[in-house]
Amino acid sequence: MKQFILAPLLVNALFAFDFNPQMQKYMQQLTQEAKKQNSNFSGFSYSRGEQIFTSKHIGKKGKMITCTSCHGDDLTQNGKNISTGKVIEPLSPSANPKRFTKVKSVKKWLRRNFRDVYTRTGTAQEKGDVITYIVNKK
Amino acid sequence: MKKIFVLLLVAGSLVYGDGWFEEGFSFGAKKAGVKPVDNKLYIEECGSCHFAYQPGLLPERSWKKLMANLEDHFQTDASLEEQDRKTLLAYLIKNSADKAHQYKRSKKIDRSIPSSQTPIAITQTPYFKHEHYEIPKRFIIQKEVRSLANCAACHTKADKGLYSESFIAIPNYGRWDDD
Repeated sequence: MKQFILAPLLVNALFAFDFNPQMQKYMQQLTQEAKKQNSNFSGFSYSRGEQIFTSKHIGKKGKMITCTSCHGDDLTQNGKNISTGKVIEPLSPSANPKRFTKVKSVKKWLRRNFRDVYTRTGTAQEKGDVITYIVNKK
Repeated sequence: MKKIFVLLLVAGSLVYGDGWFEEGFSFGAKKAGVKPVDNKLYIEECGSCHFAYQPGLLPERSWKKLMANLEDHFQTDASLEEQDRKTLLAYLIKNSADKAHQYKRSKKIDRSIPSSQTPIAITQTPYFKHEHYEIPKRFIIQKEVRSLANCAACHTKADKGLYSESFIAIPNYGRWDDD
């Protein structure tokens, strides 16, 4: 019985990340778009996002690459651009509060990075999933 | 005595025109060989992935070509919103090497490129190649450097537009002297 009560609470806790108003609006837009594209869509998923973020693909350069190739496994730490060696500030908002505050910037990096790793743009569901993973990962 | 010293200095600067005097002095501070970057958007957008190369390192035609294909920017997607792309292109053109001959490096780079060519990599310009061909490969491929495109790895004041020998420190090696 206790589990029944706790389960929804846990789910809420997972997605309770405190986006600012412009990001909240963006997440809502992604949700609506995802519903349109997939009638079974029932919310963004941390585990699907983790899969998107950590799985390997033949990227734009024709070599195996994953999001973690540049951002690392610990998102609270600096990453490193594998092409140029330039330091990338932590992706996790817990370590770097500027992250996921500007929709324009979020859109830009999702567009670029999906193309670099997946050689295509991400779907609304994929974008929402991967954001959900990044902002909630401990 | 003072006069002799000054004379010697002047003579030194003439003889070693390409040595430590090469970027020239103005009121005691070194004058940049290339105009330093002075655009916040440029630093934010271009400098987030790589060293913010000064616009004066390539001529206008090169920047136009490069900025027309940001979706495939050295095999990486560096696409921008159109408004930002236009703003940055205008900044690059305004400060490009062919319009910055008052800066020594810009002039040399610009003059070294045959008019029939439009390189999009600074490392492919004849002047750059000439200045770097003697550097042993082991210094370049080491993890602290990785590529000749990584200016600031060895040029300690690259961000100030100062590329003279006196501001070179190659990781795991040190100063670099041409002589």
